[in-house]
Amino acid sequence: MPDPRPDPAPLRLLDAVTQGLNVLGSALILVLMVLFGLDVGGRVLFNAPVSGVPELVTLSIVAIVFLQIPQALRSGRMTRSEGFLTMLHARAPVAARWIETLFDLIGIAVLWIIVSTTWPIFAKAWESNEFIGALGDFTAPVWPVKLTLMVGGAMLIAQFAARIWRRHLQ
Amino acid sequence: DDFNVTIVAGHPPVFRWVRMMPEAFIPTVTAELTKLGHTVTFSEQYGGALAKVGDELEAVEAGLAEIGACSSLFDPAKLAVQNVTYYTPFVSSDVRLVGNVVNDLHANLPAMTEAYAENGVVYIGAPITIDDYLVMSNFPINSLADLQGRKIAAPGAAINWLSGTGAVGVAGNLTTYYNEIKTGVYNGVIVFASAALPGKLYEVAPHITRFGLGAQYSGSLCANKDWWDGLPAEVRTAFLAGSAAAQDWYTTDLENAVTGALAKMAEAGATVTEAPDDMRQAWADGMDNAAKKWATELDAQGKPASEILKTYMDAMRAAGAKPLRNWDQE
Amino acid sequence: MTPFEIGLLSLAGMGAAVMLGLFVPIALIAASYLGVWAIKGSPLLASKLLALSANDSISSYFFGVVPLFVLMGFIVSEAGFGRDAFDVANALFRKLRGGLGVGTVGANAIFAAITGISIASAAVFTRIAVPQMIRHGYTPRFAVGVVAGSSVLGMLIPPSLLLILFGILSEQSIGDLFLAGVGPGLLLAVAYALGIVAMAIWWPGFVGTPDRDSDEGALTPGQFLAKGLPIALLIGLVLGGIYAGFFTPVEAGAMGAIGALLLGFGMRRLTLRRLWTVLVETGLVTATVCFLIIAAQMYSKMLALSGVPAGIGQFAANADLGLWGVMLIYVGIVIAMGMILDSSSIMLILVPLMLPVVVPMQVDLVWFGIVTVIAVEIGLLTPPFGLSVFVIKATLDDPSITLADIFAGALPFAVIMLAVLGLVMAFPPIATFLIQ
Ligand code: NA
Ligand code: NA
Repeated sequence: MPDPRPDPAPLRLLDAVTQGLNVLGSALILVLMVLFGLDVGGRVLFNAPVSGVPELVTLSIVAIVFLQIPQALRSGRMTRSEGFLTMLHARAPVAARWIETLFDLIGIAVLWIIVSTTWPIFAKAWESNEFIGALGDFTAPVWPVKLTLMVGGAMLIAQFAARIWRRHLQ
Repeated sequence: DDFNVTIVAGHPPVFRWVRMMPEAFIPTVTAELTKLGHTVTFSEQYGGALAKVGDELEAVEAGLAEIGACSSLFDPAKLAVQNVTYYTPFVSSDVRLVGNVVNDLHANLPAMTEAYAENGVVYIGAPITIDDYLVMSNFPINSLADLQGRKIAAPGAAINWLSGTGAVGVAGNLTTYYNEIKTGVYNGVIVFASAALPGKLYEVAPHITRFGLGAQYSGSLCANKDWWDGLPAEVRTAFLAGSAAAQDWYTTDLENAVTGALAKMAEAGATVTEAPDDMRQAWADGMDNAAKKWATELDAQGKPASEILKTYMDAMRAAGAKPLRNWDQE
Repeated sequence: MTPFEIGLLSLAGMGAAVMLGLFVPIALIAASYLGVWAIKGSPLLASKLLALSANDSISSYFFGVVPLFVLMGFIVSEAGFGRDAFDVANALFRKLRGGLGVGTVGANAIFAAITGISIASAAVFTRIAVPQMIRHGYTPRFAVGVVAGSSVLGMLIPPSLLLILFGILSEQSIGDLFLAGVGPGLLLAVAYALGIVAMAIWWPGFVGTPDRDSDEGALTPGQFLAKGLPIALLIGLVLGGIYAGFFTPVEAGAMGAIGALLLGFGMRRLTLRRLWTVLVETGLVTATVCFLIIAAQMYSKMLALSGVPAGIGQFAANADLGLWGVMLIYVGIVIAMGMILDSSSIMLILVPLMLPVVVPMQVDLVWFGIVTVIAVEIGLLTPPFGLSVFVIKATLDDPSITLADIFAGALPFAVIMLAVLGLVMAFPPIATFLIQ
């Protein structure tokens, strides 16, 4: 049942940004496909493979996942077993809501641990110019992916918080 | 005291550089510590159970493992200067020599150990050397012209070795060589005998040409710095004795394996050809000096790679190696 | 408390949290964090394990191709090629009791020849087959169960990322492993088909009462060809490309996607707008699945530190029961771990532990690999962590079908897998007959 009242502005903004990340991630998948095509085509047809495709694939997958996981949560895709909660919502709705809020808080906590512990990893990769690949052939910096992980993780935290907000607006 | 030590390696224990732990490192350390009245329990985490290939250093740095097989070949950003051998092919095929020289570099050049310290780990020896790289192909190589337009797979920095040969370098790795040559994704690989034999590469690439591309250094044992610094001196000595035993076991076992490997592949129908000197020289002469580029790039980052390049080449020459190119002097 | 006990306790805690409805990846991450904290006595170390795993565990060429296989699957589905394959298979089997179920298995076996991962199979056939089966009177439980069960064919019939992973861990020829997957894959498909017919006859309470003998689903030879050709072309492209050396099995996902895309646009079955929908959908399924895999790998690293798998492995190694004893214990452990971990984590933990045990017993490692993969894939169907089931849930737009329904529907298929696993163990030639 859709909520008759529209979301407050901050939540609508959050959803818009979440969707923006989702679009970026989807575009990245398409880019990967094209890269593979160029590499295979170049190798087979022109004896000229594209350098660095394995490295770019290795980097991109992490970015793809963290760009899209906030939207996955928003659209109800994140995996859970609803049986117990459905039963509880029918019998003890207040308790059920507090348990759901507790679960969202656990989500916020573990994501906070991941994002905040990634910060020094990102800083080091940025400062020492960490790369993937081989010098002289192909190299790509790794900091953009660490940054994406933190951005996606932060948005996931925000989406968990938004669930709590929405729950208590009802 | 009782010590609990977790050892991490990304490769599974089918590889010799992982087997050196249960075969030599752990027994030696255990014996040494027992002599001192200590006990030690090892938890062995190999094959990606705790960290995958190239992520061992991070796991040791974080303290998830106390000791690890830290790979410079697969972690070239963090252990950049350690890759000096992969930028200097055609120097020596002697694994023992390369191992000893690199071990000495670590002992004598602060810049070598700094790379570890910057990442919160300590070099504790047991250099992992790779036996002489050769070319295995599904076509005979009678002259360099035979390489023209052929797709040859090479690992990491070794892809630079193909510059100037006319061959098309394809990034590849050991585990998929067999299948990819069999189906024709590439026509040959740059590989080493001790891995080619168990991987049965001779079945699909029966032409083995020994160009003497050289023995290489690909990593060592490293320990978590905080943990290591907190150990009593006598205990550190016991671990270092373990590394020395591992280096010795590894090198001896590898040398035996290499001799046997070429013979066994020949028996199985492969043709083993020694490339004539002029052909080797022509290959070497035609290459870009990737070492120079590599050193300049790292120098600019404040890592004295030029100095390390020169010291390495000097030490190899002093030990009797006859490099086909003096990469440091051009 | 010993690390071993902590490991076992975390298992119980994680299981309970999942049952109560905590998001599965969050439960795994939280259990990993608390587990490492308790084992190593350091919350900082536990945080580092979480962060390193999030950054590194799927950062590989191997996992990088997951979205491309999923994308290929969704394009095949969106352009109607998957539906066509389903129609063809259905036309062949429609006279049978449970014919649509058998058709789903057949279509999955066909699709397995172009996909390298089971989650793509599960996602595609959730879209195509589940609504059809429900419309024709099958119970929702059975419909999702058939899809979950037959999705495992995707990683048994080549190409298969799981067989590639085993080849990497054991230094076995990936080509041989692929060939060895064909026999057991087809055997499993046949076993499923027989099982479905049997259940349709004797267990209508589970299967439902599908309408029968309607001419719906019949195809003229012309239709048969028209519907069969595109998918046959794709299979030709993917398998032909791999065996002709144009690309590697890992690259096959991208090449299949490009092929399906060209075919779809060429046949005017795709539009840019629909392609975009497909891309977004691919992204969401990939993110859901990979986030689960990241969480499962954190958990498997925590378990590795606890020594539980090593302890169990030691037990199997030292059991001194001969080859059969070791194999039975090994398979039992794999299936037990399959309940809580993802496929690649189980292989990363157990294969290196077991190789030194089985190699001296003169075991054919290709056969050992196939046994491992079938046993590991049973875990795709078993609760609480069953990846195929999760994918079906994530793809299904139907809140009335619960996770528990899907697990229940998949159970008979897990049992059939177990029987086929037993056959492959007892008669190794089922796997190895294609290899000289
Ligand atoms: Na497949
Ligand atoms: Na499971």
